[in-house]
Amino acid sequence: MYKTLKWTRVTLSLLIFVLVTLNFLYFSNGWSNVFPQILKLQFVPSLLGLFTGSALFFLILTVLTLLFGRVYCSTLCPAGTFQDIVSRTAFIFKSKKARRYKYSSGHGILRYSILAVVMLPLIGGITLPLALLDPYSSWGRVSSQIIGKTEQLINNILSSYFPETIFVRSYFHFALAAFLLATLFLIALIVFSALRGRLYCNTICPVGSILGGISKYAVFKPAINENCNQCMLCVTKCKSQCIDIKNKKIDISRCVACLDCMQGCKKGAISYEFSYKSKKPENVTDQQGRRRALIALGLLGGAIAARAAKIGPLASSKSEKKAIAPPGAQSIENLKAHCTTCHACISACPNSIIKPATLEYGLEGLMMPVLDYKNQFCAYECNKCSQVCPNGALIPLKIEEKKLSQIGKAKFTLRDCIVYKDGTDCGACDEHCPTNAITMIPYRDTGLYIPKLDRDVCIGCGACEYICPAEPVKAMIVYGNETHSVAKEAPKEEKQDIKVDEFGF
Amino acid sequence: MERRGFLKLAATGSMLGFLGMKSGILNASEPNASSAKNDLVAVMGGEPEAMYEKAISAMGGMSRFVKKGQNVVVKPNIGWNKKPEEAANTNPLLVAAIVRDCLKVGASEVVVFDHTCDEWMSCYKNSGIESAAKSAGARIAFGHDEKYYKPVNITEGVRLKEAKIHEEILNCDVWINVPVLKNHGGAKMTISMKNFMGIVWDRRYWHANDLQQCIADCSTISKMPVLNIVDAYRIMTQNGPVGKGPEDVQLAKALFMSTDIVAVDTAALKFFNQFRQMNLSDVGHIGIGEKMKIGTTNLDKLQVARIKM
Repeated sequence: MYKTLKWTRVTLSLLIFVLVTLNFLYFSNGWSNVFPQILKLQFVPSLLGLFTGSALFFLILTVLTLLFGRVYCSTLCPAGTFQDIVSRTAFIFKSKKARRYKYSSGHGILRYSILAVVMLPLIGGITLPLALLDPYSSWGRVSSQIIGKTEQLINNILSSYFPETIFVRSYFHFALAAFLLATLFLIALIVFSALRGRLYCNTICPVGSILGGISKYAVFKPAINENCNQCMLCVTKCKSQCIDIKNKKIDISRCVACLDCMQGCKKGAISYEFSYKSKKPENVTDQQGRRRALIALGLLGGAIAARAAKIGPLASSKSEKKAIAPPGAQSIENLKAHCTTCHACISACPNSIIKPATLEYGLEGLMMPVLDYKNQFCAYECNKCSQVCPNGALIPLKIEEKKLSQIGKAKFTLRDCIVYKDGTDCGACDEHCPTNAITMIPYRDTGLYIPKLDRDVCIGCGACEYICPAEPVKAMIVYGNETHSVAKEAPKEEKQDIKVDEFGF
Repeated sequence: MERRGFLKLAATGSMLGFLGMKSGILNASEPNASSAKNDLVAVMGGEPEAMYEKAISAMGGMSRFVKKGQNVVVKPNIGWNKKPEEAANTNPLLVAAIVRDCLKVGASEVVVFDHTCDEWMSCYKNSGIESAAKSAGARIAFGHDEKYYKPVNITEGVRLKEAKIHEEILNCDVWINVPVLKNHGGAKMTISMKNFMGIVWDRRYWHANDLQQCIADCSTISKMPVLNIVDAYRIMTQNGPVGKGPEDVQLAKALFMSTDIVAVDTAALKFFNQFRQMNLSDVGHIGIGEKMKIGTTNLDKLQVARIKM
């Protein structure tokens, strides 16, 4: 039975790994609207989206952990699966002896210190430390910044060989900080997993620590029974290095429920057991484990309570005036409270205008999505970014809502305008404005027309700023709204059908 | 790339020479079937395809402009992510009819593209032009990246002396300009001459350097379209070039065709004036075009066919 279960787990984990990663790639991320929903079944997104539509996913993940332990870590987490792939691959280069894992007592103090460093700021409303260490978000950045950029490079190389069928993808936006952090994470994962199995998951990963805490109270836990002849096979297979065969103990907080031990054991001596059937006397180490589990649960509960009470952020930097949050963010505050910078929105933007912030939102908003109208503008009929966010940092907008969602407002500076400066026709801004916030009105008695901007109708899409040819300073510049609002619709006119029977010449 | 381009050019060149000779002989021996060779044709009252059929035969047939074996570009306006009924882009039925006709008279390939303003894939798709042109047998070319555009000197240009022009235009044998008739906030009107903004890469330069002059300048390039076909089936009379709603669009059911780009724009503008006033003098580029001897605004000088359906 455990053989079947294990291979089901392996198949499922690979499938989810591939699907999650495909969500960040250009050729696949537009496949369907349902496709990004899979990102919601990740722990941190479900935690941050708890009050913005992801309660069900959080419940599923919690119940799953309460039943069978850290199934998330072995099956759902893309970074977890990636580490398994790396350790498997590393086996090829290892001697038979070096492939065997040994029991380790873990790095408890370090582990829970890291958890505190991540969770205490979260309670205070700051997501950055969590964003940096969350395995899903980090994998998202690897997918977006490394795999996605590689995809673009390959695409563009192919496009010069097949110019008529494969198009060039323009705007290679290289975000140094995000790229370096993604690379660092990737290297860390590879080193840890090649050498020590799931060491990252059981020392650094905040999700591992929290779910480890929950799984202390799991209904079914792996346990060693009397059939055990201490052959050590399970220990050598345990990538979490958490089976203490001498004391016949399994450190449940570190067990990722991979089933490798149960599948491997020739005696059937290790299997899932109902853990509430009889009261066994607890020994000292268990009490320490329980204390740590309570710390983890306390921190989790604290974070949830703080979010429910809408506490924080305790410290917040002022955003730059130019900082424009993607549609659906509602406010920069909301974005900061929910975003863990997985870059799903950045990958989804067909115009590549969303980039990882450097300091536009202040330090705590590092790598969060910010709009940049240098190479393109926010397409009027597009709501993709808002549809893919699993965290509830961007709330899904219907196309009709998006068309009125005012993420910023343009500002018109007459002295920079071509019509004023050069006395020639221009109208590039009016041409591109999708909402009719800009209209061209007669300019003095020159026969020229000059733009007139209605800032209430403007949605801040940046089409005018993008196309404005004025140099060195553009005459139309969009400034972000701290809180997004609903734009006014341009006044409707009555339709008059005009009948014409002549050519007019 | 350089070498390949050269070889391609050499090959098509010699091929053309051969075919040119051959078709010359053929034409000479043929009876003059299409005697009507008007300078300008205006049609009104029909559906896009039917109006096109009438107009092209009054122009002497497509074989007058496209020879057997030629590579043809049909350049509509696909600038915006708008549906056909919103009249922001050229009518897809007209584009398809032109593509089919080119292939019928023996074009070896017909290419359709535009440098769009909105996100290009949505424009190609929602304008209906991509699917219509493809099913008519055309190839759709990309135009969203600078790499598809090659620098060209415009020797007669006053303000626009150099522009990066789409390689399909530069590599083709002939191209046909198929704009839609619209009001335009910047250029006042966008018709045939203004449609050239979709064959160049850097539109901003035009806006920043006397838009009306740049539009006229671009119509002095050596690779001019062999035919301009103005789609006026639906026209945008106000709030152009994008429009904000149905009140900006009129069902005008007309079509204009000429080899003279200034004349066809003049004719289309005069037609437009019956819906909404727009002075020829305000649409600066048309007048400049005449001054630069690109064409004439004096329609009386031309042999004009007016066809009502």
